[in-house]
Amino acid sequence: MIQLIHVSKRYDQRLALFDVTLEIGKGGFVLLMGPSGAGKSTLLRLLIGAERPDEGQVFVHEKNVTTLKQSDIPYLRRKVGMVFQDFRLLPKKSVFDNVALPLLVQGVSAHDIGRKVTESLRAVGIEHQRDQLPAGLSTGEQQRVCIARAIVNSPVLLLADEPTGNLDPALTVEIIELFKTINARGTTVVVATHDPLVMAQANQRVLTLSQGRLLPEQGVSA
Amino acid sequence: MKMLSYLLRESWVNMWTNRMTTVVAILTTAFTLACVGIFLLLYVNLRVAAGWLQDDIKIMVYLDDRLAADSIATVEQQLRSDHAVASLVFISKEQALGEFKAQFPSESHLLEGLGQNPLPASFVVVLSPSFRSSNLVKRWAERVSRITGVSKVDYNQDWIDALATVIRSIELVAAGIGVILSAAAVTIIANTIRLTLFARRDEIAILRLIGATTSFIRIPYLVEGAVLGALGSALSLAMLKLMYELFRQEMRTTGRFAGLENLIAFFPPSGCLALIAVGMGLGVAGSFVSIRRFGEART
Repeated sequence: MIQLIHVSKRYDQRLALFDVTLEIGKGGFVLLMGPSGAGKSTLLRLLIGAERPDEGQVFVHEKNVTTLKQSDIPYLRRKVGMVFQDFRLLPKKSVFDNVALPLLVQGVSAHDIGRKVTESLRAVGIEHQRDQLPAGLSTGEQQRVCIARAIVNSPVLLLADEPTGNLDPALTVEIIELFKTINARGTTVVVATHDPLVMAQANQRVLTLSQGRLLPEQGVSA
Repeated sequence: MKMLSYLLRESWVNMWTNRMTTVVAILTTAFTLACVGIFLLLYVNLRVAAGWLQDDIKIMVYLDDRLAADSIATVEQQLRSDHAVASLVFISKEQALGEFKAQFPSESHLLEGLGQNPLPASFVVVLSPSFRSSNLVKRWAERVSRITGVSKVDYNQDWIDALATVIRSIELVAAGIGVILSAAAVTIIANTIRLTLFARRDEIAILRLIGATTSFIRIPYLVEGAVLGALGSALSLAMLKLMYELFRQEMRTTGRFAGLENLIAFFPPSGCLALIAVGMGLGVAGSFVSIRRFGEART
């Protein structure tokens, strides 16, 4: 599903990633660990074509993202769901409209949008909040809306960037369990985090980045 | 369908959220386009007037005084067979004198003092429409003046040429002002759209991340630009129409230039629609400029 071959990325003189080579199989669940500034977010941005590597090749779902035309990037992103630490919900749109957005940009019919959004909201357990604005929800609920939006498209890959950064331990456990459920349905899940609780709760393959370098793997395999 | 309604709704939301900026943009665009419109209206009316004058060109072909009747008939035959001539009227020396006396009764004694009629016989020629341009009239007159028995060919070309020069100057000024003020309208709309883009930058970033194409992101802003341009243009036409009616009213009440108020014209409905379309085009251009500068297609 994901393959990085000798990937390096610099921002001006600062090295964000250096000679990273890794592979994540279809249906895998991987935790991308490391402190802030280790290169986790850069790696996720490379996977969705938001950044291009200075060196190396990035493959996602059999597409070479490194050479993908700018106009093809949106079509790659439609196969990838994104979950963010700050949720990135549209404040003036209801829960339903926020979750419907990825379907809307693809021109899905109103009937299918209604059905898929309802399924997605049900999957994350906030169907009853569908008409609320994000501001009226708790942080845990907002993160669930963000996850519902990420999975509404039935993506092949789910990328989460510090998804539990704003959540307390109880909510962190709930969100990780939700990711496990999504993964069990066949979606490849990559969670970038520096939270040891996530690592303990997920009990999945761990890739560790430190100052842009990928450290040798230990333990669990995915 | 759902996507279209979403895109149109987003355009409306953009305009409603920044309604003060939107209103100011429409008003400034309207004033800017109204300035262009004044020149355009002046230009259109002068073109129409020039057309009337061109239609009204009567060329006087004066004949030699000594010319015998059969020679006059030969000249007439030559003129009638000329494909540039649309119509032809012969005015004898006696008719010319009669017309002079009718037009200038107080000066008629001057001619009586001479003892004989000094006015020449002539043909009044109207040329076919395709021969009425300044150059062709001039060339035709030169050719006819060389016909035996023709003493002089006269026509009121000088001031028609002068009018043509004025129209050309107005054309140039209107084009220059049009370009400058259109650029101003584009800038005004571009700045308005830029404010909207800035206010919605987070939303645009989210749309990019969930797989929205560049067109999907751009359309609401292009629609917004088109609406601003079209409304600005429509308002400018309304302002021009008001000024036009006030001007006509003023002419009627003061009595100056009597009759002229019925000759000056406003843009025809098709012209108004074309101007609204131009405004819409300027709005889309302004919007496009902002979108490009904003660089919404970067990531």
